[in-house]
Amino acid sequence: MQRAVGRLLSPLWLPATVVVMRFGLRWRIEDVARARRQYREMLRTGRPLVVCANHLTMVDSAAIMWALGSPLWLLAHYAAVPWNVPERQNFAASLVSRVLVYVMKCVPVTRGGDRGEIGRVLTRLGHLVARREVVLLFPEGGRSRSGRVEPESAAYGVGRLIASIPGCTVLCVYLRGERQDGVGNVPVRGERFSVRVAGLCPTSEHSGMRRAVDLSRQVVETLAALERQHFLERDRALCRERHDDRQ
Amino acid sequence: MSETDVMQKVVTILTPYAKNAAALARVEPATHILEDLKVNSARLVDVVLAFEDEFGIEIADDDVDTVNTVGDAVRLISAKLV
Repeated sequence: MQRAVGRLLSPLWLPATVVVMRFGLRWRIEDVARARRQYREMLRTGRPLVVCANHLTMVDSAAIMWALGSPLWLLAHYAAVPWNVPERQNFAASLVSRVLVYVMKCVPVTRGGDRGEIGRVLTRLGHLVARREVVLLFPEGGRSRSGRVEPESAAYGVGRLIASIPGCTVLCVYLRGERQDGVGNVPVRGERFSVRVAGLCPTSEHSGMRRAVDLSRQVVETLAALERQHFLERDRALCRERHDDRQ
Repeated sequence: MSETDVMQKVVTILTPYAKNAAALARVEPATHILEDLKVNSARLVDVVLAFEDEFGIEIADDDVDTVNTVGDAVRLISAKLV
């Protein structure tokens, strides 16, 4: 029902979201072609897919959606619009925001809340992924306070979800704005993002909770590797610029 | 192992994770692990893994969802030890 309502209204909310980011906030994302190609390739395999990303601001999920597909492509492939799991206090506190998260493929959750509720949300997400819907999760469990990927903060719920879906694949997405030094609410106007992606088929020899912890750790370590690559390439680009300036 | 022994070990395991020392000092079965003891929810998994190691049991994901209070943990562990 929620999906059907969201899809019916998607010609309104989906382009509007991207228009706000592109023209209202004047954000730009570089390297989207590579990220979108890999996303499409992973979807084409027909295997269950979870998108896991680093988390710096409250609107990361919208920017990641845009990074993974153009509004037109997402409208034509609505299953590829990722389901989000926003913190209830941030995004579902008022009636208006509750309506919006309902329409925009969101399943709100109270982090650190009742274990039973979290379990039910994970079960629901598992059903969605098994039906070839895509779910976007932030495996650090919340926004990174240090501004960097924190492998020790790996949330076990991500691994639990992956473990519950046979053959589940993961697309790790590292998105960062040039002027994002640390955690924030909304990236600045005119921000220029870069995006890096890596596909992953996490497996573990463990069982039970240790398996979930192991799978979560693999995902967060992949994000940390993408982050290292991001800063390495940024430093190289800076060196090149300085070198060119001197000449 | 009696429930009292299990309770003692559970409290010992929870001690380094509990941020509310006052609540820990008057801990009872109804004490909520996250809300009263202020254990970080992200660290709950470490607590449960410590339970597994200490008592030599395996706790399933669904079982974890039933653990809200110290008493819930004691009952779950005691049931697994039978």
